[in-house]
Formats: sequence, C-alpha cells, structure tokens
Amino acid sequence: MTDNVFRSDVRAFLTESLTPDIKRAGELMTSVFADFDATMEWHRILYAKGWVAPDWPEEHGGTGWTLSQRYIFQEECKLANAPALFAMGLQMLGPMLIRYGTAEQKNYYLPRMLSGEDVWCQGYSEPGAGSDLASLITAAVRDGDDYIINGSKIWTSYAQHSNKIFCLVRTSKEGKPQAGISFILVDMDTKGLSVEPIVGLDGTVEQCQVYFDDVRVPAANLVGAENQGWDVAKSLLEFERGGHNFTIDHKKQMAKIDHQASTQLSAGGGLWKDNPVFAAKVADVAVDALALEFTELRVKGAFEAGGNAGALSSLIKVMGTEIGQRFNELSLEIMAEHAFVKQLDALVPGFEGDAIGPSCGLTTMAEYINNRAATIYGGSAEIQRDIIAKRVLHL
Amino acid sequence: MFIEYSEEQNMLRDSAERYLRDNYSFESRQAAVKQARGFDADQWQTFAELGWLAMTFKEESDGFGGGALETMILCEQFGKYLVLEPYLESVVLVGGLVEAGAQPEIKQRYLSGLIAGERQGAFAYLEEGAVADPTYVQTTAESSADGFVLNGKKTVVLNGPEADCFIVSARTGAVGQDSSQGISLFFIHKDTPGLSFTQYKTYDGRSASELQLENVAVSDQALVGELHNGFATATPVFSRAMVAVCAEAVGAMDALLAATVDYTKQRKQFGQSISGFQVLRHRMVDMFMEIELTRSLLMATAWKLDNHAADAELCVAALKAKVGKAGRYVSHNAVQLHGGIGTTDEFSVGHYFKRLAVIGVMFGSRDSHLSRYSQLSTQLSVEPS
Repeated sequence: MTDNVFRSDVRAFLTESLTPDIKRAGELMTSVFADFDATMEWHRILYAKGWVAPDWPEEHGGTGWTLSQRYIFQEECKLANAPALFAMGLQMLGPMLIRYGTAEQKNYYLPRMLSGEDVWCQGYSEPGAGSDLASLITAAVRDGDDYIINGSKIWTSYAQHSNKIFCLVRTSKEGKPQAGISFILVDMDTKGLSVEPIVGLDGTVEQCQVYFDDVRVPAANLVGAENQGWDVAKSLLEFERGGHNFTIDHKKQMAKIDHQASTQLSAGGGLWKDNPVFAAKVADVAVDALALEFTELRVKGAFEAGGNAGALSSLIKVMGTEIGQRFNELSLEIMAEHAFVKQLDALVPGFEGDAIGPSCGLTTMAEYINNRAATIYGGSAEIQRDIIAKRVLHL
Repeated sequence: MFIEYSEEQNMLRDSAERYLRDNYSFESRQAAVKQARGFDADQWQTFAELGWLAMTFKEESDGFGGGALETMILCEQFGKYLVLEPYLESVVLVGGLVEAGAQPEIKQRYLSGLIAGERQGAFAYLEEGAVADPTYVQTTAESSADGFVLNGKKTVVLNGPEADCFIVSARTGAVGQDSSQGISLFFIHKDTPGLSFTQYKTYDGRSASELQLENVAVSDQALVGELHNGFATATPVFSRAMVAVCAEAVGAMDALLAATVDYTKQRKQFGQSISGFQVLRHRMVDMFMEIELTRSLLMATAWKLDNHAADAELCVAALKAKVGKAGRYVSHNAVQLHGGIGTTDEFSVGHYFKRLAVIGVMFGSRDSHLSRYSQLSTQLSVEPS
C-alpha cells in the first residue's frame, strides 16, 4: 500500500469514528492530556479497530505498520484533533514489558493495557529525587513472597484516574545509588496506598503525590531482577524521549497562530498578521520549527537505515519543547486580556453555555502556563544538555 | 523527504576533506592572505584538476552534472578549512550565470576557461545607494548601433582584483511592478575601454573592488539572459550561491565548535579544565544544537532546489536567516570561550568569526530573509511531507 493510500484510509476512519465530543476534547487540550472520559472512549474505539498500539510488535497487538505509516497515523490523528492517548501504559510500560517482562506478566498485563481495562501511571520522581532520580528512597523490603513498600512518589500524572502504577523502589543501599533500585508493578487498590491531587497553575489536577504506607506487593510483580531496575528504567526513558513527534504539534500551533493573527486586531487597526514586528517574531520561530522538522526527518531516516538517533533525540526534546513554548508566547500576545478569563467549564467537551471572548483564545493561557512543564518533565532541558555534553561533545 | 547521499557524493566529500586536511593548513592559508594575490594560484589549479570546479556544470558544458547538493558538499569543506580561493565568485556566480544565460560566442570562449581554473570571474551587482537590495540599479546600459553602452559605478565587487571577466547588472528599462524588472546583465572583459577599478582587501582575507564604468561599449553578444529580465537568470544563481555560503558557514561552525571543545578541555583555571563548568558545557551544547538545526535546513534546502520543490525558495530564505543567527551565536561564543587568545590575529578562531560575520550579511541579512520568509509563507502553504 502506498503512503498516500494509507493516509486516505486513516483519514476516512477518523472522519467516521471521531465523535463531536471526542474531537472537541482534542481541540480543548491545554497540555499533553485531554479530558479523561473522552480519551478513554477514543482508546476503546481504536482498540476495537486494532489500531491502539501501532508501535508494538504485531504478535503483541501492534499493527505491523512501517515507520512511515506510524508517522502518518500520528500526524493524521493530531491534525483531526483526536485526543492523545495516555502514554504511560501504551508508549512507556508496554514496550518495556515486552522487552523485560516474564511470560506471565506479558500475558496478563498487555491485553488489559490494550483494551483500556488498566490505566497506568508512572512512579519515578520523589519529593527529594527529581533530575537526580537515582537518589530515590522509597523502599521495598522483602517479606516472604512479598515486598513491603514505604515512601512517596510525586508528579504522578493522572494517578487519580489510574488503577495501576509502575514504580522505581530502593531494594538495596549497597554500592552506587543506581545499583540498588528495582522496578515493580503495583495495584492502586492495595491497602496503604493513597493518592493526593496537586492543583496545577491552570486550576486543574493533572499531577498527584502517591503515598505508600506498608503497601504489600507480590514479589512476582518485579520486572527484571531485583536491583536491576535502573537498566529497565533507562530503556523506558528512551521510549519516553524518542516517542514524540514535535513537528505535528508545531504545525498545529502555527495554524492556530495564523488563525488568531488573521482574525484579531492589533493596536492601530490592522490585523496582527500585518504587524511587521509580530510577523518577524513569527518568522523567527517558524524558521526554527522548520529546521527541527528536517532534523526529525534526518532522525527518522537514520532509524529507517537501521541506525539510531543517538543524542539527537535529546536535541529534539530540548528544541521541540522550547520552540513550542515560543509559539505559546506568540498566542498570548495576540489574545491579551481575553486570555485572562478563567472559564474551566468551557474547556470540558459538551459545554453548552456562552464562552467569554473569541473561541480561538479559550485555551491560550492554560496552554501557555501548562507548557512550562514541557522543559521539566521527561528529563529537563538542563539534563538533556548534560547528556549532549557528555555523549556527543565528550566534555 | 530524506537525503541519502550517493556513493559519488560520499566520495566527493571524503576526497575534499582528505585533500584539504593534508594540504590546506591554517598557516599556509595565512601566508596566502599576506601575498598580493590573496589566494594560492597553485591550490586553485589543483582544485580544477581534482574536478571540483567542473563538478556542478552540465555535462554538455564539460562538467559533471552536479547540483546544489554537490555545491553544498564542497563548500562545507571549504568552510571547515577557511578556503580563500574564489569558488563562490568564479564558479558559482559567474560560471553559473555564463552557463545559464551567456550568448553562444561568450559561452564558448569563456566557460571552459572558468571550469578549467584558467579564468577568474566577478559578479558586479551591488551599488553604493543600497547594498541590501540587488535590484537597486542606477548603472545604465543604453542601446547603441551594435550593442550597448554602460555608465555607472558598482560597489564591493568580490574577487574583482583577480577577475578576467565581469558580469555587470545595468538598467535597460524602467522599473516595473516588480523592482527587478528593467535590469539586464552584461558580460564584460576586464580590458574593455572605459572600465576602471579601485582595489582593496576585505576583513575576511579576500579582495574586492569598486568598479567604474564610463561609456563602456559592448556588443549585443555581451547580454546574459533576457533583456530587461536579467533577474530571471540571476535568481536561481543567487539561490545556489546562498546554499554555497550557508554550507561554508556550517563547515566553519563545525570547526569552531571542535576547536572550542578542544580548547576548554585543555585550558585550566581554578585548578580544573574549564570544560567542567556547567555554564560552559551548556553553552557548547547550545552551539551544537544551533549547528545541527542549520545543517538539517541546509541539507533539505539543497535537496529541494535540486528537486524543484514548490517550497525551495521558502527554504532558501529560512536557511539564510538561520545561518545569520547561528553563525553569530556560534562564532561569538567560540571567541568568548577562548578568551583573549580568541581575539588575536594569530589564532584561527578569529578568522572563522570574521568569515561568518561576512556570510551572515552577504546576499541579504537575517532580517531581510525573515521578512522574505514571511512573504513567501503567506503565498504558499507547506503540505506536511
């Protein structure tokens, strides 16, 4: 099948399957997460079609698509405003279990992940262990066939909606800090586990803190060997970094700014797009976005030729998030006072009231403030720069 | 779009890299700068023998049929080794214009000499009133019985002191709706009566001249491209020239980053290598990222020009704007991280810095290309690839 035929098949499916409410949830995304219920509804539609995990090997429920087809699918979904599926299970834990999990773990967890029966969250960071992840202290102590976990995890996205959590825990204090870490799967219903929501700057809850108070977990839930969790986690971080395509996000941001600048007036009466100072700033960001697009294609080409991205994936993460933040600033300049208005109810699909201000500015402020996190999560911009300094420049 | 280099292209890069590494030291370059000529004539002959000068001409012109990708591959190496020889002026600009638009008689007499390295050319397209705008042309060419008579003055004619032949832009008609209308190009031999020169050096170690034309009579065979529409011939040549200087910039930036990494590892202050300081490490990473983004844009632009992509000119504008920014960022920080030694004539870093300063504003500065990018992108919506 040619890529063009594939693209039109995907488009036809999206036109047919994206209900207005699901699509609205995609349009109203103000961070990497869309409305929970709409996202899970979309998850189940894709599952029924067999397209929920295109990046997985076919024998575990993947689609068998080429890299190019996977890219097209991702692009078309975003352009059609489909909500992004939650990445913690499908993008992060799934590929890792396929690589390191036991047969029992794969047989049990992978189908539940595909169907959406299990919703996973990630327990990595702790109040005292962020960029220096290896300093984590949440401890799992062996007791018969179980581990008993005590401690706390933070910045756990969507823990309030999840029924499972995968965690890094300390099983030994011997040797290097990395050497005493294990990777374990925990049921959120287990006695002693509690979730405390963290209200974000936009007034909504995406992050949580998770507390473990004598939480008893079967030792069979360990992924990889005891004290080998760091290697498992490192491979997962690669999935997290390599799995994102910024060009599509940037194109959507650019299209939004084009629309805002073609409809909103700047001081003096002209449209924003005809303001030469503003146009120069847009061009400046657009040129960098174009350069990043071609860099992503270079990396994709290297993958197709059997190579790997190396530290270019760190470059893409840094530049992709920083360019995205610059687009957010441009939108804020156009929408100005209208961006002040906090109307969270208007950001939920199905809202039927009258929103204040132009509809193209509804999400502007929330996107701007939420996207500050993009250069912090998934390995901060500073950590990524450290990686490039060490691995590419050999400093 | 993804670039896979052909075996020939890889060989071209490797052989250029190897030749220049072994035969083009910074010391010999500096010795050539100090000579009256400003470059090394033997090197130029070797470049011709290696086939580099013929690389991008059509096969019917006795070239090897290469395109923008080959221009890019060669010029990247030229930038890396700070090559002085006038490849841009003689081959890309004048060679390109002669091949694309000269009359058969001129083409026959001069093109093979340019390709063989026996002749040097210079493109006189700028005037004192507005160097930012190549369509600002006050020099006139009036029709005569058997050709044209030119009067006026051209400024900053790069490689002028070395050139046997010039291509001069002159006004033959009124400015139309498009500012480039009414301009024609003429091929003029340096011995033609009425030409006079003021010669000088440029900060990046090259030479240039001011060119005065006083009743310079040429035959109608001298016309290059269409009458009144010389820019139809010049525009694609300018695009190719921008790829050439941007590739040179990428090569120069690579060299600067490598030198800076090396230097900061060796240089010790406060009892340690200064490369251990995170503020410097991150600065070098930012230099690296600027270079890689520019390289991606360069490769894509060369590929798009060779494949006549609809957005090729948009990419040229983006590339030139990006080189303006990246070239300054990388060269400023290379000088900064080298400290005092980076500000001396003795050390190579400052010479890369000067070449990048020149390239950054040549053929339009960053700002003019950003505004061109804005205009072009409203005319053209780029489809996802």
